[in-house]
Amino acid sequence: MLVLALVVVLAAACGGQGTLGAKALGEQSKAVQSLAAEGALLAQDSADGKSTDIFRREHSNELSAAASKTRASLASATTKPSLESERRELTALAAKVGADLKRLASASEAEQRTLAKALDEAAHQSERIGESLA
Amino acid sequence: MSLKSVLAVALGIMSAIGGFVDIGDLVFNTQAGATFGFQLLWVVVVGVVGIIVYSEMCGRVSAVSERPVFDLVRERAGFGSALATLIASEIVNLMTCAAEVGGVAICFQLLSGLPYRLLIPLAVLLLVVTSWVLPFRWLERLFGYLGLGLLVFAVAAIKLNPDWNQVAHGFVPGSHSGGSLMVYLYFVVGLLGAAMTPYEVYFYSSGAVEDRWGIKDLRLNNVTAIIGYALGGFLSFALMIVAAVLFLPRGIDPAFLGTPALAAQHTLGQVGLLLALVGILFAVGGAAVETSFAGAYNLAQFFGWRWGKKERPADAPRFTLAWLAIFALALLVVMTGYDPVKLTEYSVIFSVVALPLTYLPILLVANDRTYMGEHANGRLANVLGCFYFAVIMAIAIAAIPLMLLTNGGQG
Repeated sequence: MLVLALVVVLAAACGGQGTLGAKALGEQSKAVQSLAAEGALLAQDSADGKSTDIFRREHSNELSAAASKTRASLASATTKPSLESERRELTALAAKVGADLKRLASASEAEQRTLAKALDEAAHQSERIGESLA
Repeated sequence: MSLKSVLAVALGIMSAIGGFVDIGDLVFNTQAGATFGFQLLWVVVVGVVGIIVYSEMCGRVSAVSERPVFDLVRERAGFGSALATLIASEIVNLMTCAAEVGGVAICFQLLSGLPYRLLIPLAVLLLVVTSWVLPFRWLERLFGYLGLGLLVFAVAAIKLNPDWNQVAHGFVPGSHSGGSLMVYLYFVVGLLGAAMTPYEVYFYSSGAVEDRWGIKDLRLNNVTAIIGYALGGFLSFALMIVAAVLFLPRGIDPAFLGTPALAAQHTLGQVGLLLALVGILFAVGGAAVETSFAGAYNLAQFFGWRWGKKERPADAPRFTLAWLAIFALALLVVMTGYDPVKLTEYSVIFSVVALPLTYLPILLVANDRTYMGEHANGRLANVLGCFYFAVIMAIAIAAIPLMLLTNGGQG
């Protein structure tokens, strides 16, 4: 049973990206929404003087890297023609979120406020895409 | 309670902070709160009572027999069963230790800004030096008390002013909303697994021998197990509440170790952020030390080697080499670049599968009057022990199917 568990864990860890259905695309939209919302919270806190420069830089870089991964995964995936526009929209949104999070790492206070709004809007946009897929 | 007694409770606090609240709890509790709000608080209560019941048994067995549990497991269960338990626990220990080491490196990164991959060997080096230099009691105190920085999450939970009526409802199991039944059950299994991780009881039992507990310490054992793990449970409530209030409405999935710290930052500013990061660092660091030692304890006790931090390394060379080897293997695993948070999720689910192998022998030994005499399990300990063993069996069977069906809790 333990060996089976280990095999299953390894298989799950090595899982790849194939054709995306509506459900899988919905999961990707949730991922983009999560990264954007977390980035918005970080950006707003930073602008309010609640964060440290190091934490902002390191955490936003980590979020940015995750957004880039999601973008790459969406970009290389195939989907049904009826879902193609949502896939493209999400890919572009993930790229924008990734870029905004990268900018946040070294942003001034004024930029942090602008990025907080932009990331918050991206989170809502991703949520709307997810709802349209449900 | 005298100052000496307060310090003695450190064993429980370290097990609670470094064991109960380790990277697995940080991940599962915040993810559960961010997905189901307060609805899974009751699972933490079930998990806390379970780990108290079995840790109390372990401490009692060690205090009465003055031998650690694994030693008795081999004697009582026989070579084959004990070997299966040893292999399972060593695999879980290694996976967990690797996840904790990765967590320590991430905390250093968030505090220092230095590159993560450079910080992994540095983290291992610091953990090894600390474990080598400090006596057992000082290890307990260092990680246990500095891990109390996690109390910042309790303050954050109160400051976020949750709907306390809803929080209270979360302590009653019932219908759920916000995700599918399968995902809900996956989190039930994950939270119980994170609360009852096997290395906690092995470390607790061997720690009792290191601290030279005897029959006179049975009361200390009760207090330590109850206070220590109750504190761990209290911190788990706090983590779940902050995630429910702050992350759930925003759709944030806490997939990073820095995400819980964000909650402390949002409510308490830079001081909150730093306390959270230091608390996480020492909780996760303590768990890394616990897992490496638990692995070495198990090996040494199974093969009959001389063991213990109380021994000079030269007097217990194989034991010393064993915990150093576990750190070295953990270093190799983390250096592959595998995400420690993902590794944590897998190690928790894998540890659930191994739970029956850990807890059945403990129940049998604690109930055996040959070893325990008049201190064998009473009726209450047996009822609770059997109830929790049934729970453990159920979650061990369900863990892997649930992980596959829910894609690791993603739905």
